[in-house]
Amino acid sequence: MNYLRRTLATAGLALASIAAMAGSGQAQDYPTRTITMIVPFAAGGPTDIIARIVTAEMAKTLGQSIIIENVVGAGGTTATTRAARANPDGYTLITGHMGTHAAAVPLYPKLAYHPEKDFEPVALLAGTPILILAKKDFPAKDLKEFVAYVKANTDKMNMAHAGIGSVSYSSCELLSSVLEIKPTGVPFNGTGPAMNALVGGQVDYMCDQIVNAVPQINGGTIKAYAVATPERNPSLPDLPTTIEAGLPKYQVSAWNAIFAPKGTPPAIVAKLNAAAAKALDDENVRKRLLDLGSDIPKADGRTQAALAALVKSEVEKWSAVLKPAM
Amino acid sequence: MGDLFSNLGLGFGVVFQFVQWAPAFLHGMSIPIPINILLCLIGALVGTLVGVLPGIGTIATVAMLLPITFGLPPVGALIMLAGIYYGAQYGGSTTSILVNIPGEASSVVTALDGFQMAKQGRAGPALAIAAIGSFFAGCVATVLIAVLGAPLTKLALAFGPAEYFSLMVLGLIFAVVLAKGSVLKAIAMIVFGLLLSMVGSDIETGAARMSFNVPELADGLGFATVAMGLFGFAEIIRNLDAGGEGDRDLVQEKVTGLMPTRKDMMDSAPAILRGTVLGSILGILPGGGAVIASFAAYTLEKKLSKDPSRFGRGAIEGVAAPESANNAAAQTSFIPLLTLGIPPNAVMALMVGAMTIHGIVPGPQVMQKQPELVWGMIASMWVGNLMLLIINLPLVGIWVRLLRVPYRLMFPSIVIFCCIGIYSVNNAPMDVVLAGIFGLLGYWLIKHDFEPAPLLLGMVLGPLMEENLRRALLISRGDATVFFTRPLSASLMAISAFLLVLALLPSLRKKRDEVFVESES
Amino acid sequence: MSDAPSHVPGESILPGWIKGPQDFFGGLALVAIALFALWASSDLQGMRGFSFGAGTAPRMFGVLLLVLGFAIMVVGAFTEGPKLAVYAWRGPLFVSLAILSFAVSIRPMGMIFSAMASFMIAALGTHETQWKETFIVGVCLTAGCALLFPYALGLPLQMLPAFLNR
Repeated sequence: MNYLRRTLATAGLALASIAAMAGSGQAQDYPTRTITMIVPFAAGGPTDIIARIVTAEMAKTLGQSIIIENVVGAGGTTATTRAARANPDGYTLITGHMGTHAAAVPLYPKLAYHPEKDFEPVALLAGTPILILAKKDFPAKDLKEFVAYVKANTDKMNMAHAGIGSVSYSSCELLSSVLEIKPTGVPFNGTGPAMNALVGGQVDYMCDQIVNAVPQINGGTIKAYAVATPERNPSLPDLPTTIEAGLPKYQVSAWNAIFAPKGTPPAIVAKLNAAAAKALDDENVRKRLLDLGSDIPKADGRTQAALAALVKSEVEKWSAVLKPAM
Repeated sequence: MGDLFSNLGLGFGVVFQFVQWAPAFLHGMSIPIPINILLCLIGALVGTLVGVLPGIGTIATVAMLLPITFGLPPVGALIMLAGIYYGAQYGGSTTSILVNIPGEASSVVTALDGFQMAKQGRAGPALAIAAIGSFFAGCVATVLIAVLGAPLTKLALAFGPAEYFSLMVLGLIFAVVLAKGSVLKAIAMIVFGLLLSMVGSDIETGAARMSFNVPELADGLGFATVAMGLFGFAEIIRNLDAGGEGDRDLVQEKVTGLMPTRKDMMDSAPAILRGTVLGSILGILPGGGAVIASFAAYTLEKKLSKDPSRFGRGAIEGVAAPESANNAAAQTSFIPLLTLGIPPNAVMALMVGAMTIHGIVPGPQVMQKQPELVWGMIASMWVGNLMLLIINLPLVGIWVRLLRVPYRLMFPSIVIFCCIGIYSVNNAPMDVVLAGIFGLLGYWLIKHDFEPAPLLLGMVLGPLMEENLRRALLISRGDATVFFTRPLSASLMAISAFLLVLALLPSLRKKRDEVFVESES
Repeated sequence: MSDAPSHVPGESILPGWIKGPQDFFGGLALVAIALFALWASSDLQGMRGFSFGAGTAPRMFGVLLLVLGFAIMVVGAFTEGPKLAVYAWRGPLFVSLAILSFAVSIRPMGMIFSAMASFMIAALGTHETQWKETFIVGVCLTAGCALLFPYALGLPLQMLPAFLNR
């Protein structure tokens, strides 16, 4: 069935490229029609929200609308595979993230794409920092005590995560590898149920994106020990960074970035990169992203080269930490 | 109590907010527009419209329509979403009754008797009682949320993996009881469903199970895909069998009154009441509560009925009870979201997404920090239910008239709508093919007198059961006694055992009678 | 164009000791499905200490289905039951073809073409079809969908064949 699909898709593509040559849509007029942005996760998730906020502004700059197409499945890899095979004409883009364009490489040995070889990096959008969280009666005052306690009681520890391939899974695995421990990982279907179990005290700790955790921390239903970024986060100004709290090796942020299929003309990619950079400078966009607790990359982090370097280093980092899911 | 009224007052104040609309052509005059009511109405209407498209269930509908609310102010967006949610849910029941296609797990049960009623020419009363039951359940649940929301949250938090596993066991027992034929075959169908639910990636290791390297199977079989095949396509294929024509013409001639008779109302009233109570309680439990609510309500009615054999053959209680239960559950499932800020199911997760995009991330303090949002939403639920009643009672006539379309035109149209519906959920052609395969499987099941409903329920409950079992065992480090030592879990297990005995008794007795009959002859 | 069933299973083909063929063969098929599932999940890991492996639950349910299917077979063999039902070929064939054609053509050809084509193929499923009427309804339905999905619901469905779009 797969073979049939692929054959048909190829036939379709062949027809399409002939038509494209005949029409000769050139980069200087780009874009002349609606652009599709694939988001490999469900509507309403952090990646989706960031993609929507930024692309709405990019559409204004580009003068064409950008439709978000949410395609879920297999930790986002289904959608990413589809994007990798899309026509490289700049009309199909994808908002990938730490999972789809880095952690997926070690996790899925049969991955049908490679983040570096099959995509043109377009622009880094925003990242959501990871926090170390624990249930509210966890017996540790600060990160140092937490580390000591978790190391001493590894056998008793239950660490929640949102399923293999999720950001929280990778972040948790990184924490375990930094601390050199092997706690029992308890998988949940998504961050919601995992957070529920943490609030209910059924599990001991987890690592998750800041968006989901801020209201719970402020409400006192869970504890937070540190934020795993170099700088403190404005939405939780009292929370120390892992560097301040004594675990500098634990650095992780769920970055999101726009990618185009390999072979997209450089002029088009440059145009998209400029539009994304302009969107990130917009007052309203910045405010909404900061409200979510996300980091916005500074000017030097917004280039295509910077994104390419990030993907390269992230693929290496996660390949060292994560073992393949069978 | 005073608090309650001031809170509800605040809520309705938000819902009945007027915006002054001063278009240029009125030269300075302005017209007050009840913007939130209007949004709720539009939401309910659009939700119903998408929900009745076979193949698109509640989650898919809400996910598809979510982006249109992004441009609205937060309160308005949420009110509209709530409207979409109820609309979609009701729309799903409409297709279960009219064409035997449940849009989601909780309307599988509605299809059992609802579609039979439609076949007997009583689609009108079935649709109407579903709307009335839902409205009543909605009213009760709204008050319940306002009064008991906060204390009930504790229940949701007390449910750990062990409790969920026990709840799922109870759910499977309900699925056995609801079968109308052989208990053995019903159990086999449930196990078949459980087996099908294993397709996809393993939650703990991520290993692909029985997915044969088909990427569309990597996340398992979608409920809509299987339901569409087993119920929708299979029903169409069966209807096309030679000799089916007479059957179908009969339906078209038999259409009697559109509204329930006095007797229908009398029969349904207690069922609606019981369904509401069950639904309200089970709805609070995140993950699976609402699904179990609808068939728990059905099972209860069947057990309480003087003549259980009517069930599955067009008993109006069999529509009234599960519809009330699933609407009550739909409503109370907001409780964990409103009090804890934790989305209990996929639809609620989408709601959180909608809030997040407006910069509101719900948490335990959302009630104190954003009272107008929370109470506005609670009030809008009630308004949403009212809208549904207003929209749907007149629509009943139109739906029923649709049944008069000759079947030779109707069935290709259903096929097309199903295809587009399934395709649009994930933009995956493979899903459409899978639904077709399940259509053939469903046809085969019908020919061998296997019921598809228990299969579907097994499929829905399977992953929940397995995952929670594994979580519970991981947390307890392999100690299986947790299911019997934790009080909540133990009581659920006890109820399951009791129900199982109750379900098996009649068939055992029958067997014994048969034995006697044979020995006498 | 008569709707003849593909085969009429008479009692004569079946061994006489099967009293309820419907259940007997139903059970047999379930046994086959269970065996297939057991084979398909045989490469998965089993129990690891106290924790379930990926293959534990599928195998558990597979074995259970095997037992139940066998039980149904036995019951079917020894208790008087209905005969095998008659299968029609026309409905299943054309409805399946319609579904398949939609799945194959939706991406390259767009919704308008594939919906219309599937509608006509599905209509072949019954001899009651009157072509003029079916064609008109098909056109109206396709037009309705073309308006409903992208405009009223804002779904990004591709309407026209892909090669016209580029």
